[in-house]
Amino acid sequence: MLELFIQQILNGLTIGMVYALIALGYTMVYGVIQLINFAHGEVFMVGAYLALTVMWIFASLFPGAPFWLVLISLLLFSMLGSAVLGAAIEKIAYRPLRGSPKLTALITSIGVSFFLQNAVMLIYGLKEQSVPEIIPDVRWHLGDLSFSLIQLIIFATSLGLMFFLSWFIKHTRTGKAMRACAQDPEAAQLVGISVNQIIRTTFVLGSMLAAVGGALFGMYYGSINFHDGYLAGLKAFTAAVFGGIGSVPGAMIGGILLGVFEGLGAGYISSEWKDVFAFLLLGAVLIFKPSGILGEPLPDKV
Amino acid sequence: MKEFVKRFLAALSLLFLAVLFCGAGEKEDFVTIGFVAPLTGDQAYIGTGVLYGAQIAVEDANIKGPVFGNTRLKFAPLDDQHNPTQAVLAANKLSADPNVMGVVGHFNSSCTKAASSIYHETRVVQITPASTNPEISRQGFDTFFRVCATDDVQAPAAADFVWKELQAKKIVIVDDKTTYGKGLADEFEKKFKKLGGVVLSHDGITQGEKDFTPLLTKIKSLGPELVYFGGIYPELSLLLKQSRKVGLETPWMGGDGIYDVTLIRLATPELAEGTYATMLGVDPHSLPGARDFITRFEARHGEIGSFSAYGYDAANVLIEAIRRAGKKDREAVLREVRNTKDFQGVLGVINFDEKGDAVGRSVGIFKVEKGKFKFLQEYKP
Repeated sequence: MLELFIQQILNGLTIGMVYALIALGYTMVYGVIQLINFAHGEVFMVGAYLALTVMWIFASLFPGAPFWLVLISLLLFSMLGSAVLGAAIEKIAYRPLRGSPKLTALITSIGVSFFLQNAVMLIYGLKEQSVPEIIPDVRWHLGDLSFSLIQLIIFATSLGLMFFLSWFIKHTRTGKAMRACAQDPEAAQLVGISVNQIIRTTFVLGSMLAAVGGALFGMYYGSINFHDGYLAGLKAFTAAVFGGIGSVPGAMIGGILLGVFEGLGAGYISSEWKDVFAFLLLGAVLIFKPSGILGEPLPDKV
Repeated sequence: MKEFVKRFLAALSLLFLAVLFCGAGEKEDFVTIGFVAPLTGDQAYIGTGVLYGAQIAVEDANIKGPVFGNTRLKFAPLDDQHNPTQAVLAANKLSADPNVMGVVGHFNSSCTKAASSIYHETRVVQITPASTNPEISRQGFDTFFRVCATDDVQAPAAADFVWKELQAKKIVIVDDKTTYGKGLADEFEKKFKKLGGVVLSHDGITQGEKDFTPLLTKIKSLGPELVYFGGIYPELSLLLKQSRKVGLETPWMGGDGIYDVTLIRLATPELAEGTYATMLGVDPHSLPGARDFITRFEARHGEIGSFSAYGYDAANVLIEAIRRAGKKDREAVLREVRNTKDFQGVLGVINFDEKGDAVGRSVGIFKVEKGKFKFLQEYKP
């Protein structure tokens, strides 16, 4: 019984890590320009497709390549591709709207989301794409408990990236500038920070994390669809709000907790209500602590 | 040479004039055949497979000449994204067009059911190629027809097979909560319990969801001998892949919604091996009447979908009815669809009962072996 419980927690943690990676992008962008970037879920999906493309390339050109080489190349490639995509979205869709009402940018982000979904549909086709299993099927058992290599890779990559991001924001010049922009963009500009450049960096970082999430997601579940960004994005957005939107550690904790809650709810109560648990949790948090677990109540800027 | 060019040009211009006058003399008219299925979204692949089937039927008819008088056919495909709300919008749009004589659609039972009352009010005949939920035809709408078998044939056949042939006594049921999936799973459960079987649990999942490991972990702890799935192949392929991740090695079985080669490709042949499926009728590839259609389909659109032939047959029933009606009148077309007798479709002979269901459609039981659906046996209702 206890084993089953731990197994369910492990299952939840795995998907929770992916939620956390996507949630970071939502929260960082919100922190800097107060925009809920609904196209972010689509960047995640594009990341998964880019990773798949790398697998195809390896399978046709270097069929015998060791899996770690494929893994590293696909992670790097999808990060790179998504970074370019993130920067392009910011430049083309959001920068011209800077200074216009918040709602305009929000609606634009929904438009970008539709655009990306349909672009991927046209390029890769309507079908569900099967993701080849490049990670060897290694599993460790402890009684009824099982833990696989791909889960280990998801844990290690996600945690590694989260630690890196925390360090980056705390200790580097760019990180400090990002925090300054989040607090007060005008004052940041006054002290010589290029706000536009920082906003671009934020988009690039967020997109890279989402791409890694997408690549891992595709490998873990073994199939991807141009539709996948929608639900995953919605869940990650929930996680970001749950943790306190604008807060980086909040997004990490929110994502992981959301995954675990969903796993336990689906495993013990009913899998039919899996999504309901996620959104019930969000509702409860918003009622009792409207700024999220780690969010600070911000006074309205007038 | 110059002389030749001159003559040629003169002849050409005469020809043009002739064509112009012809057009002016005889006014061409058209009637429209509507079509609705999921054409975008995660079921877009199976939906477009049906679309191409119906489209070929319309094109064939137009090549033969006008369907009556100087009236030709137009084809109006719409997308419902397997969403009942969109299905109603599409139904309203088609019904509002006076040229629309009938609709081939929809694909998902939930959509077909939601749209059926609109077609009934506006007297548009509706022929579904694939919706198997028995409730739809029990609503008493005289405009509703279907060319496929229903789940009260399909699910009991599956339950019978599991109980008698596989000798499984304790099973688990999972469905996707849609009209189709839940309807199929409920019918299965009813019959299986009647036979004396034990259903350890009956859970639902959400379409579009990706992570089923919590549910599968729970199923593994229950130790069933088989898992019956009411749903469509994208979810089953994930369930199969994740089953292995949690170490669940029970065979799976599903209905016509999982009978698609895409299932094997997505889940990999290795993991799909040993999965059972019921399919309406027999495999079209084994029918001599379907060979010509399959060849033409695959030359243009690649691999034939598991419901493409149903789309083709449904459209042909409608086209023949329009031809017999001989006028642009919805009631007349409806009457002629009802009068359909021994229609020779590529999947076999079609007759409708008083509810609009195709009679005598058998169900085949298939098993995935070496990456292919292999026919095991046939169940006659």
